[in-house]
Parts: sequence; structure tokens; C-alpha cells
Amino acid sequence: MEYILKNGIVYDPANKIAGEKKDVMFKDGKIVEQVSSDAKILDVTDKIVMPAGVDPHAHVAGPKLVVGRIYRPEDSRKGVTSKTDVCRSESGFSIPSCPATGYRYSRMGYGTVTEAAMPPLEAKHTHEEITAIPNIDITPLPLFGNNWFVLQWAKEGKIDEIAAFVASWLRIVKGYGIKIVNPCGTEAWGWGGNVHGIDDPVPFFDVTAREVIRALAQANEMLGLPHSIHIHPNDLGHPGNYPTTVNSLDCVKDIAKNGSKRNQTIHLTHAQFHSYAGTSWRDVESGAKEVADYINNNKHVTCDIGQVTLDETTTMTADGPMEFDLHELNGLKWANKDIELETGSGIVPFIYSGKAPVPSFQWGVGLELFLRIKDPWQVCLTTDHPNAGPFIRYPRIISWLMSNERRQEMMDNGEVRVWSYKRTGLGTLDREYDFNEIATITRASAAKIYGYQDRGELTPGYNADIAVYDLNPNDIDPSKEPAAIEHAFGNAMYTIKDGQILVKDGEVVKVVPSHTLWTDVKGFEEQEKTVMEEVMPTFTRFYTVKFENYQVQDHFTPNPTVTEVKASK
Amino acid sequence: MAYEPPVTDYDEIVENGTCAFCGCNCDDLDFLIKDGHVVGVRHACRLGASKVMEDMDQRLLVPMVRDENGELQEVDWDTALDKAAELIAGSVRPIFYGWSETSIETMKHGIHLGELVGAVLDNQATICHGPSLQAVQNVGYPVATLGEVKNRADMIVYTGSNPMNSHPRHMARYSTFPRGWFRQRGRFDRTVVTMDPKYSDTAKMSDIWIGFEQNGDYGFYNAIRAALRGKEIDQDFVSGIPKEDIMELAEAMKNVQFGALYFGLGLTHTLSKQRNIDMAIEMLTDLNKYTKWVLTPMRGHFNVNGFNIFMALEMGFPYGVDFARGYPRYMNGETNTIDLLTRKECDVFMVIAADPGAHYPGGAVKHLAEIPVIQVDIHWGPSTEIADVVLPGSFIGLECAGTSYRMDGVPIYMKKAIDKPETCRDDEWIIQELHERVKKIKAKEAAVASK
Amino acid sequence: MKIITLTLKKKSQIALEFDELIPDKVFNWEKADFENYQVPVGNRRFPLTDYFDIEVEGDAASPEEVKMILDGDFGRVKYIGCKMSAGEIIVNGDADLHCGAEMKGGKITVHGDAESYAGREMKGGELEIMGSTREFCGCSYIGDWRGMSGGKITLHGNAGKQLGECLSGGEIFVKGDCDILAGIHMNKGFIQIDGDVTRWPGGQMKNGNILIKGKLGILLEGFVYDSIVVDPEIDGKSFSGKYIKYNGDIAVNGKGSLYLNAEKNREYL
Ligand code: SF4
Ligand SMILES: [Zn+2]
Repeated sequence: MEYILKNGIVYDPANKIAGEKKDVMFKDGKIVEQVSSDAKILDVTDKIVMPAGVDPHAHVAGPKLVVGRIYRPEDSRKGVTSKTDVCRSESGFSIPSCPATGYRYSRMGYGTVTEAAMPPLEAKHTHEEITAIPNIDITPLPLFGNNWFVLQWAKEGKIDEIAAFVASWLRIVKGYGIKIVNPCGTEAWGWGGNVHGIDDPVPFFDVTAREVIRALAQANEMLGLPHSIHIHPNDLGHPGNYPTTVNSLDCVKDIAKNGSKRNQTIHLTHAQFHSYAGTSWRDVESGAKEVADYINNNKHVTCDIGQVTLDETTTMTADGPMEFDLHELNGLKWANKDIELETGSGIVPFIYSGKAPVPSFQWGVGLELFLRIKDPWQVCLTTDHPNAGPFIRYPRIISWLMSNERRQEMMDNGEVRVWSYKRTGLGTLDREYDFNEIATITRASAAKIYGYQDRGELTPGYNADIAVYDLNPNDIDPSKEPAAIEHAFGNAMYTIKDGQILVKDGEVVKVVPSHTLWTDVKGFEEQEKTVMEEVMPTFTRFYTVKFENYQVQDHFTPNPTVTEVKASK
Repeated sequence: MAYEPPVTDYDEIVENGTCAFCGCNCDDLDFLIKDGHVVGVRHACRLGASKVMEDMDQRLLVPMVRDENGELQEVDWDTALDKAAELIAGSVRPIFYGWSETSIETMKHGIHLGELVGAVLDNQATICHGPSLQAVQNVGYPVATLGEVKNRADMIVYTGSNPMNSHPRHMARYSTFPRGWFRQRGRFDRTVVTMDPKYSDTAKMSDIWIGFEQNGDYGFYNAIRAALRGKEIDQDFVSGIPKEDIMELAEAMKNVQFGALYFGLGLTHTLSKQRNIDMAIEMLTDLNKYTKWVLTPMRGHFNVNGFNIFMALEMGFPYGVDFARGYPRYMNGETNTIDLLTRKECDVFMVIAADPGAHYPGGAVKHLAEIPVIQVDIHWGPSTEIADVVLPGSFIGLECAGTSYRMDGVPIYMKKAIDKPETCRDDEWIIQELHERVKKIKAKEAAVASK
Repeated sequence: MKIITLTLKKKSQIALEFDELIPDKVFNWEKADFENYQVPVGNRRFPLTDYFDIEVEGDAASPEEVKMILDGDFGRVKYIGCKMSAGEIIVNGDADLHCGAEMKGGKITVHGDAESYAGREMKGGELEIMGSTREFCGCSYIGDWRGMSGGKITLHGNAGKQLGECLSGGEIFVKGDCDILAGIHMNKGFIQIDGDVTRWPGGQMKNGNILIKGKLGILLEGFVYDSIVVDPEIDGKSFSGKYIKYNGDIAVNGKGSLYLNAEKNREYL
């Protein structure tokens, strides 16, 4: 099937197209240069056309999610809809069911999302959920930052072993890249403890976060993985944590990049939660300037924000100790899930109310980071869904970024408390994003950061993943019309995935299976074999499943999109 | 147990097989196979082994439909499936119950069928750990995988549970006896506590037995929590336990390095039901202020947790999900099997790999005898006696592969070791067939209606 | 004023669901609208006329002007008055599950018993039950820590287990006896029980007040003796007599108050 999207106004940052009136053509699921006269014409005159959205960090599939859904029926109930001819019933607000997750991303014009924390032992679970989510491709990142094998080798500086282990494990669990969460801290939580800063050694293993981050970064570049290490640093959410954040980024500065497309060697996730100054919640101040300055001066870093959306949501992370602290703070029900030899996690409902000082402050810090980071290729829009808010709020965040007037109004009329500007620099920042910058932070930069070579741009040969929004950029003043911006980005006129029209006028009109993106390292077989011989005796003694039953069998990824990497060493 | 000589006469061994019995879901079994039959099992406990070995006993082999005279008659698959589909399509308040002893792959077809006709999908949690899940929904769910406990725990508490009988390898393979990374001496590095009104087999194996009185659980945990907060207990005895013992236990629990609490149905089925667990979970949360504690419900069937996980990921609710109104609804006391049966609302009951009679209250069983029942199972059982349609399935983890979730949520792909009897079908296929056939009936109805 | 009378003529074994038949939605319905209406029953809808004789008198410009009279045994009619915000519903018989659940205003009177979940998550208005209730009267939705937050429930008979679970506001009055765990997890509001209580009132309560005029079976360790109070005033209401006041549940650092009639509970003195 051939199509022409006619007369749209195209934003395709990767190809340096910023608001040009232009046709976009696709055939058999791919963008093409030319189509025949049989092509079907979709008239999108003066509407915004972008590559489909790419979300670099969210929690959408896996064991934590299901614990959240099981123990928060009151959240599930909030999003219940009746089935339609096309869609099954939806449920959930902050933790949507799998079908709802797919439909909702699709309605916003998104095509790809990263599942940011896959515990290897329960990877099959994550993959089952990915398979149950339609319409959006999913990139799972397995957790390595508290893995006992990694901790031991990091202590001994055995980078080759770590690299071989990562290469094997990505294949065994079908993962895309290396995720690190509170390195050493989550292991310390195995004993009810935590670590503070990157030089605080974890009990028994006696290794520090600095050593673990560096070792994994070196392994990542040794293999030349498409994505860099993806880090949730220590001390999340603690006043005074920004030096830990900067130190975590700085400690890999000397490690050379080895990968084709991306620029960075470290991706900092939900930077908002890691950019606080002060010493306690009494005297907390924004550290956004310091973190943004570091990012502005260092091209080896990219980040996503984790913007607070001022909703009641569900926090969930592999940062087990942080979640217990949060429970101590708000007294709401606490779930925890520790995974043998690998990782942990915690879950707590949280109400980010604009009537309370701390959420208002966090809201301000997130926006401040967006506005201070100069190069949009170094930043992505996220809410760390569902941690700082549900992903369905992306359109609202876009409206905030495009309108200084709206932000000022919120601070003036009390939608957020004074801490939003008194404790942050937000009040002094009047920058407004334009559509091209929005296109960058919601698709192009994420695609580049992940080294995707098939999506995130409207380049011939790429997947025909395209979003059309019902806005005429020459006609609308986003600064003055935030509600219209939010509505348009929340209800795509078209969402096209692999050349198929999935959404029309904000409604899902077609449901297709999603793809699972994972990385297959080639050329490291010898090292992998050696390392597996070392791993197996320990595996057999201390895991409670057999290795054969640990692996993710092929049928758990019925539609894989495999990135093959030639390890260069 | 009498001595049985080891089996030596077999053709092949299938290693790393899984036990489809209790919530431990042990995945280290060796099946010894001769002529396409299992002649021996290694590593399984007696419960698991007997399930595999006695497999052909009472086996349902042929589809059956009950005739006008009330006798089950053997029929072909088409006849049986059409009959079942017709019953389901015509029902107003259908329940599809069971699922805890079949695969996730089967459930996938089940939920589509349930959404299509507007059924209630429910599993054994409704009579077993339902109260635990309600408590989890009220106060939280701090869990850990079994290996965390094996590698770290120096105190293990079993409450309202007797794993020596119900989960025979729980202590041996996962919690108490095995040598762990930080517990190199295994059993010697751990203190085992059993809280149970009965002096059970597990209590006999334990270092400490707390025999609080029947129905005293809620008051007992409340007192421990008060003690943890430094309150001097007022009463000399709480729930039959001397106050000194309570203070001492609270202190001991505070001072371990890693504690694990496993609770069973004993705790969920007393007077204050879900609130016992509610209180136990909060007690454990309190303990985390001092040191590390985790808990896990001792789930009974190997995939009872799997159904809860599956329903939650598909529809946001763990069990008792009612699709009658065209959207999922979850309301304890309203959308659960027992309530719908005792209220005599259910008009067609499909039971998938479960035995509804055993744990149901009398009224519910009586109603079952009055309505059409469809059974999908591998063995002749009480539900066969009341079934109007019998659809013989296959043995998951032995004759047919499938995914399950262990009591701690670890997913396991249970592989196939032997072929099923020729006349049987896989559960997955049966439910898919039913879905297809009901879809056809519904499409026909819609076509008629639109004319 | 519009008076809508539904008189039961056939009781369904499978419960009917009445969430669409509240004054807010039907105030402008004519008789014919009711006759054309199909009521949810299980996974189908059937004509309302299969089950009821319907009479409609008078006119209403808003839900306030509606009075619905439900005559007969409504013990298989769920969600009566669910989410209503105005008007009046009178049930001359029993009511099934969720009667008055999530109601925001108006009044419901049940002249028989009400099944479980009566007044669940009630936000305002008045629910009066002349008979008894089963479990979870005035409770939260499962999982939510915010339960009934406003309005008033008066129960002339007995209350089942877990009355006012997670109560976050409003008032519950029980004229009869009460089963275990009244006010469990409550964090605000007021519960008054005139009869006897089996055991464990106020379990895991964080705040709010419970007053018991009858005899209490078992009190939880989480309650700490505060004082003897005479003729206490609680939430602006005065009570005569001598009460033992406890604070709790300290198991959850609770700051709630439990008042126990001293005369009837001498063994606690
Ligand atoms: S403990 Fe349970 S799963 Fe393990 S072998 Fe015994 S019955 Fe099977
Ligand atoms: Zn995250």
C-alpha cells in the first residue's frame, strides 16, 4: 500500500526540516522518496507532521507494574472504559492495563517506548506484558547495576568479564541495553540499608557506585551497544543530591564512545529527581542550574526529565530504599519486590498536589531543567511514567514548555505553591519551546540517544512511523493557547505505525501487535563462553530456578526487532 | 514411607522439568520416560511425584455430554464443543472459574471469551488467598523472591501455614535448609518460628512455636505492633500468649539481619479474615524501620498467582473480574464466584482445571447442581459428577508446555516431556475452540437482530 | 414534584442494576421513557416493564424535584441511588448491594435491610436504613484509603463487620449492635453505636471518634487509656453519662478517640 501525506507542515529534526510544507510518502511500511500515481492521498494541509513519538523512559510492562495493578484497584477503576468494536476495555489512570497502555500512547502519536527496568529473572513476565501491549514498540532495558556478578567483577576491575556477561544476558533475557538503578544502593536495601553518594561502599561486596558505573560504561563501550548506559543515580529525591548526580555523570567522562549514532556515553534519567540542593526538605533549593550547566558543558551526557504533572500517581522504581523512605513520608501503602542476585524495587502511591510545597517545588525543578538545557538533542520529555505522573500528561507538559504565560499564570493563581518559583529559578526563565524543539525532545533526540536506525526520523528507508496533529503552526500562538496545544498533542489526527493508520482523529481505529527491540552482540562468543563457565556454578547454587528455565525462550518475543552489534574488540 | 527401589528401566531423562502442583512450582525435576510414559520422577516431593505418577488414574480421556437421562455419554469433540459453546452463548450470568492449574496461554483465550460474552472470570483466590489480596490492596505488598530468602534470611516465620504438609519442598529447597550466599551453613544459620494454634509438623521443625488461640490472630499482631512501638503490654495474656513472650519476640524480630514471613490460609480464614493479613503486613512494614523483612503468601496451586498476575496485566484487577456490563468490574462480595453461586445468580458455570466442590460452602455447591456446568480438566472429580459437558484437557508441564508464575511471581516456562493421550486436547486449544464457536453464534445472533 | 413509583411484579434471581435510574438521570423522563428502558441484568438488558409496574406523576425541572418510590422486595436490585446528588428515593422493602454508594446528596430511606456496601464512599446526603446491614456499610472502595467522606448514615438495626471502614468524614449512627472492626482504618469522622459491640472497634484507626453506648467484648492493645470523661462533647455533639476515653490505634501512631460507656463496661475501669 502506498500513501502520500499531502501538504503537511513537517518537523523532522534529524533531517533538519523545521516546519516546511512538504509531502511525506510511504510504501509497504517504510518512508520512501517517491510513490506511484496509485498512492492513496491523505490530505493534511497545514497540519503538523512529525515522526511518531519515541519515549526514552517509562515503566509500562513487568512485575512492578502488575504489583501496582494488583494492589491499587482504586487506580485501575479510575480509567475503566467500555469495550468498542476496535478496542478492548481499558483500566487504570497511573498504571493502565496493558491494552490501555498501547491505545493511550497511540492516541498521542507515539510509536516506541522504553520499558526502563526489566529484572532479568522475571524478564519473561516483562515480555508477556510487552506482547499484551498493542500498537507501540517496546525497548526493555535489563537491570545490571546491583547484579551480584557485576558487583564482584566491578570490584576486581574485570571489564572484559562484565562485557561478556552483558552480551550474554542481553540475549538470554532479550534486552536492549544497560540500565543502572541506584547502583549498590538497591543491593544495600537487601539488608534494609542504602548507600549515599557514589563513593559509599555497599556491605559485603565492598564496591562503590563509582566503580560499578565506570565498569558498566566501559563494558558498554567495549561492546559498542546502540544505547549508552542508562542511569538512575544514587540519592534520588534527596535534598542536596545534585553533587551525586554530577559526580555520577563526570565519572565516565574519560571513557571513549564506541557506537555509531549516539553522541553520549551516559544517559541520566529523570534528572528532575536528582537536581536538588539544600540539606533537608526545610531548606531545599533547586540544583537544576548546576545539573543543566554540567550537561550544557558536556556532550557525553544526555538526559530525560521526569516532569512532575501534579496528579495522584503510583511511584515505582528498582530503587527499593527510596520507596520505603517515601512510604515513611506519606504513610501510604508500601509494596516492595526484591529479586534474588539482581535487583529490588518498591512501589508507593503518591499525590503530587499543587497545593503542597514539595510537589510544587519538584514541578518547578523539572521545568527549570527543560528551560536551562540549551541543546534539545541532550534532553527528552518524560514523566518517568508513572513516577512523576502518567504519560498521558505529555501533551500538557508540551503546553507548559511552549507557554511562559501559562507557567506564570499557574504560579500566580496558586495552581502551584510559591516553592515552585521561590525555591527554583523557574520564575526568571521565559524561554518558550517551538514546535521543532518539541519534535526534538519527544522523538528525534530519544531515537538518536538509543541509536535507533529505523525510527525517529522521516528518512527514506525508515519505518513509516508518523504522527499528524491537528494544528496549523502558522496559525496558532502556543504561548496564548495552551489548552489547544494540549488537546491536539493528546489526540493525534493520524498515528501511523509501519505504514498502517492506527489512530484517526484521536480514536484508535486499528490494533496491531507491538515489536520488542533487543540487542544481539556478535563477535564476542569466545569471551561469553568463558564467562558462562565462570557464572554457571554460582548460578546453580544461588538462584532458585534452573538456568534452562531462566532464559527467555524465543516465543516470548513473537515480533522481535533485533539490533545486531559487531563487538569491536 | 516405604522404601522404593530406584527406577532403572527407562528410555530417556527429561531434565529441568517443572512440578505443576503447589505454589513452589519446582523446576528441577527429572522425568524418567519409557515408551512415552513417565516411569519415575527425581527431586520431586511425594505430592509432586504422586501427581505425575498417578496421572493416568481417573484420567478423563473422551469428551462427554450428559443426556436426557442424566447420564454422561461419550461424544466426539465437535458435539461436545458445540454444546458447551451453545450454553455459554446463551448464558446471562456465566462464571468461568478455576485457571490456577492451567497455563497463561490458556487464560489468554479465556479472557477473550469472557469479554465477548460478559462473563465473570475468577480463580481459586476467591476461596483461598482472596483475603490476602484484599489486605495487600489495603496496606501493601512487601515481597521478595524465594532466592532472596535462601541467600539472606536468618529468621523465617511461618504463620497460618504448614508447609511440611502443603508445600513439602518450601523449607528444603527455598527457605530454611538450603545454603545461601550469606547463609553458608543453611539451617544452622537461621531461626525458624511457627505461629499457629496447632502444633503442626512445621512447628515441630521450628525453633520457636507461638500457639496463639483460634481467632486470636488480629489481637496478637496488634499487640506485637504496640510492643514494637515500645508500649508495655497491658494484658497479661494476649490471644493466649504471655505478654513477656510477645515483648521478647518483638525484640528478636527487630534484631535479625533479614526476616521472611510466609503466611497461609490459616491466617486468612479466621474471624477477621483479610484484617489479619492487613495487620501482619503492617507489622512487617514497621519492622523495616529497624531491619529488613519481607513476606509472601503461601499460594496453593502452582499457577494461582499466575491468574492474578495475568488478569491484572490485562484488565487491572486480580480475580473476580466481571465483564457483564461490557467493562471490567471488581468488587469483593459481588463479582466473586461464591457470592454469585450462593445468591443463585450464576446460570452457566465453566470450571477449568479446578475442583469447585471441595472448598465451597454448601449453598454454592447446591446451586451448581442446578445449573449447566462445563468441565475442562484432566481427571475425573467431583465436578465431573455435576458436569453437563466434559472436555478432557492435557497435563501442563508434562504433556503440554505453558507459562506459570510461582508463588513469588517468578515466571517459569514449563516445558513438555511426553505426548498427551491421543483423544485429549490441550486446554489452550479447547478454550480457543470455544471462543471461536461462541463468536460464530454471537455473529449469527447479531445478524438476525440487525434484520 | 415528580413521583415515580416502581412496584415489583417479578423478582429476578439475577440482580438488576439501578445505577442509571437515579433522579439526576431520570428527572425529565416520562412514563414512556421508563417503559422503553432496558435495565441491566447480568450480561444483558431486559425491559424494565418485565419486572415493575411503573407510574409517573407530576413534573420535575431538576433532580431535586424527584421522589422515587420503590415498592416491594428490592433485595435483588443493586446500586439503588448510586452516585445520586439530589432528590429522594424510598425503598419499601430490602435493598441489594451498594445502596446509596457514592451518593453526593439527596436522601434514601430503606424500610427493610440493606445488603453489603450500603453508603460506600458516600460524599453527602442522607441514607437511612430502618433494618440492618451486612458488611462494609459506609466503607471505601477496596484499596482506597479514602472512604466515606461526608453525609450521614443512620442504621436502626444492626451493623455487620467493618462498618465505616476507612471512614474519612461524615457520620454513622447505629441504633442496634455492631460486629467486629467498626471504624477500621478510619481517619476522620464519627461513629456512634448505641448497642453492643463484639470486638476490636477502631482497629488501625488513625483519627476520628468512635462512641459506644453498649457493652464492648474485646478491646485492642493498640488503645491506650486516656481518662474518664463525664458528659463529653464530641464533634459538636453532647453526650450525657460517664465514658472511658482511649486513644489509638497506637499500632499505626493513631490519634483517634474511642469512648466507652463506663457503666456498661465496668471491667475496663
Ligand atoms: S514442593 Fe510443591 S512444586 Fe515442589 S515438588 Fe513438591 S508439590 Fe511439587
Ligand atoms: Zn524510571
